[in-house]
Amino acid sequence: MSTMLDIRNYTKTYGGDRKACDNVSLSVESGDIFGFIGHNGAGKSTTIRAVVGVLDFSEGEIYIDGHSVKTEPMECKKITAYIPDNPDLYENLTGIQYLNFVADVFEISAADREERIKKYADRFEITSSLGELIGAYSHGMKQKIAIISALIHEPKLLVLDEPFVGLDPKATFILKEIMHEMCDKGTAIFFSTHVLDVAEKLCNKVAIIKQGRIVAAGSMEEITEGHSLEETFLEADNE
Amino acid sequence: MNKNIILLKTLISSTSRFNIYRYTKDKKKKKKVVGAVIGMACMYAMLIGYGASISIGYGKYGLTGSIPPMCAMVISILAFVFTFFKTNGYLFNFREYDMLMSLPFEARTVAGCKFLYMYIKSMPWYLCISVAMMAVYGKYAHIPVYTYILWLILTFILPVIPMLFASFLGFIIARVSSGFKHGKIAQMILTMAFIIFCFSIRFIIEDMFRNEKVEATLNSISDKTDSAAKMYLPIKWFTDAVRLGTDMPGTGAVSGALLLAGVSLMLFFAVFFIVGRSYRNINSAMASHAVGKKYKMSSMKKRSIVQAIAFKEFKRLTGSVTYMTNIAVGEILAVLLGIIILILGFEKIVVTVTQGAPIDTAILQPAIPFIGYFFIGMVASTACSPSLEGKNYWIVASLPIEKKTLYRGKMLFNMYLTAPFMIFVILCMCISAKVPVGDVILYLILGVVLCGFSTAWGCVCGIKHMRLDWENEIEVIKQSSAVAIYMFPNMFVCMGLIVLSVVLGMHMSNVLLTLILITVAAALTWLSYIRAMSLAAKQ
Repeated sequence: MSTMLDIRNYTKTYGGDRKACDNVSLSVESGDIFGFIGHNGAGKSTTIRAVVGVLDFSEGEIYIDGHSVKTEPMECKKITAYIPDNPDLYENLTGIQYLNFVADVFEISAADREERIKKYADRFEITSSLGELIGAYSHGMKQKIAIISALIHEPKLLVLDEPFVGLDPKATFILKEIMHEMCDKGTAIFFSTHVLDVAEKLCNKVAIIKQGRIVAAGSMEEITEGHSLEETFLEADNE
Repeated sequence: MNKNIILLKTLISSTSRFNIYRYTKDKKKKKKVVGAVIGMACMYAMLIGYGASISIGYGKYGLTGSIPPMCAMVISILAFVFTFFKTNGYLFNFREYDMLMSLPFEARTVAGCKFLYMYIKSMPWYLCISVAMMAVYGKYAHIPVYTYILWLILTFILPVIPMLFASFLGFIIARVSSGFKHGKIAQMILTMAFIIFCFSIRFIIEDMFRNEKVEATLNSISDKTDSAAKMYLPIKWFTDAVRLGTDMPGTGAVSGALLLAGVSLMLFFAVFFIVGRSYRNINSAMASHAVGKKYKMSSMKKRSIVQAIAFKEFKRLTGSVTYMTNIAVGEILAVLLGIIILILGFEKIVVTVTQGAPIDTAILQPAIPFIGYFFIGMVASTACSPSLEGKNYWIVASLPIEKKTLYRGKMLFNMYLTAPFMIFVILCMCISAKVPVGDVILYLILGVVLCGFSTAWGCVCGIKHMRLDWENEIEVIKQSSAVAIYMFPNMFVCMGLIVLSVVLGMHMSNVLLTLILITVAAALTWLSYIRAMSLAAKQ
């Protein structure tokens, strides 16, 4: 197994003195489903946005498949997919126009994109709505389009920020199924969540972040030590 | 396909009315698209009329040679101003930043495409002016066909340099502001400072011309455009190029065209090379903030519903650099005008503006409230605030308040925003012009009533042309039908009223004239308010 995501001493400071993330270090291997949990404002999204090359940072290093996010951003982005918690999609494009745009950017062949869009759109039962403007979609449908657009180029690293928010139970189940399938193929998955039950069942590794610092990280067994993830999280939170 | 083209194509499609019309099943939305297209066509027709009328005036007075530099000057100024106001929101700080930057695009590709998108979207404005002026120029200067073609080609290149300057300036402001703890406030102050500088530079330049004793107005304008060509080389290059084949050839038609194209291209790559290097850094600083944890609960105030909405509007205004710099610019300029008038004197300002024309300043006194209104009423927050609710519309829609109350709150805020500044600028002008106390009171009443009209009429436009599905707030603040329908007639009518009040003031007493104007303005305000309330009730 190779290290797909390697965060080393990542620190993000705002306004010169306020540290949103402080010395965060963790690594995600190929085939891992890594859960990133913490309170609101703990620094999860700040870390995730830096990983996907959206947020600038001055201290620490982030490597994706050996490429530095700082110095080789294009190499990193080509193999990464990101699903934000509240995807801002182009609302005046139709679903299919948006998916085609992303496929064009990743230079996916016409046959591949057709096959993949059909496969995932059918699974999420959204195929018949692809011709509608995204602005007319519900939150869950927009989330589904964002998920399909992330899967279209078969990324080596999938980064998700609160992916289950807004999804109906069936779509949540399908997404979990897809995550397992990708993980079996060697894709590394790094995602933040507040739903501890989901994290416990889905992840093989987990990290808990509190006030910008990692307070616990490792395999699920190491972290929970026979307790539930909820108990472990609350215990870490009270320390 | 090249990634630049893919992104540019998507940016255009994502805001294209054609795409909405083609794919939406909402008939109301389709009608709105048709209405917006008709509105834009009217605006373009007005611009064509403006371009043609200026050029015909030049042609009739034998100043045909000044049409090309005037055309280049108007397009350059428009391109600069349009771009400068849009930089924050289009180039930086835009909504889909996270989505685009997580895709495999270079930072400079995103910045460059955003610039080209602005360029393509504003091109029809420049084309309208240019084609109208070209047609008149062609008629008077008898230019050959190839000069028409060259003129058209250069019209596409002409806005690039001023747009790049404006973008780069916006970049510098964003770069400097991003270093501050309160970046947004710093950005607002720097932007406002630059706008004030731009307005004052106009008077400095005019003063320079006056010192050269340019007396005849038309000759003065002609000289000004020629001087502008000397100061800003792209005007000269354009002028030289399009004088090809006429009896007033420039120093080099081919070199002019080549220089314009070459320098534009070089500057484009240079600017976006520099911008690209700090792009992520600036956007990170502008769009991300750590949440402060120092707040302590203290005694809280209870407000009325209307006051609470007005406060919400105040926070919306101060929370957005784009909104603030576009809406509050009139108030800032009014304060500046008031201070300058107090320092230099009403008479000196009149002499400066009229370029030394022998005018008795006393006859200008009835126009004082309208001069104030020209600035204060430039844009009303009520024209765009209904649309600015955007995706947050559900908040006000789900609250247990009537729509009428909501819009009353929005109107109250606009009154808070405009009336104090109106009173200030009128008082400054009246003190400086030594207006009798009785007249001052009437002017103040008229000023406040005009603020009321601006507020209510803005609200009518804002509700009637409300658009919640915007991608970028600039679409609402600068480019919406609501703002255009409010702003342009309001501005032209205001200029007309300044002249009318002066002319009528020469034939009747100031008191009587002001009383009539107050009555008319109050009636129009009341009618607009009733209309706004009826539109609100229908929502």
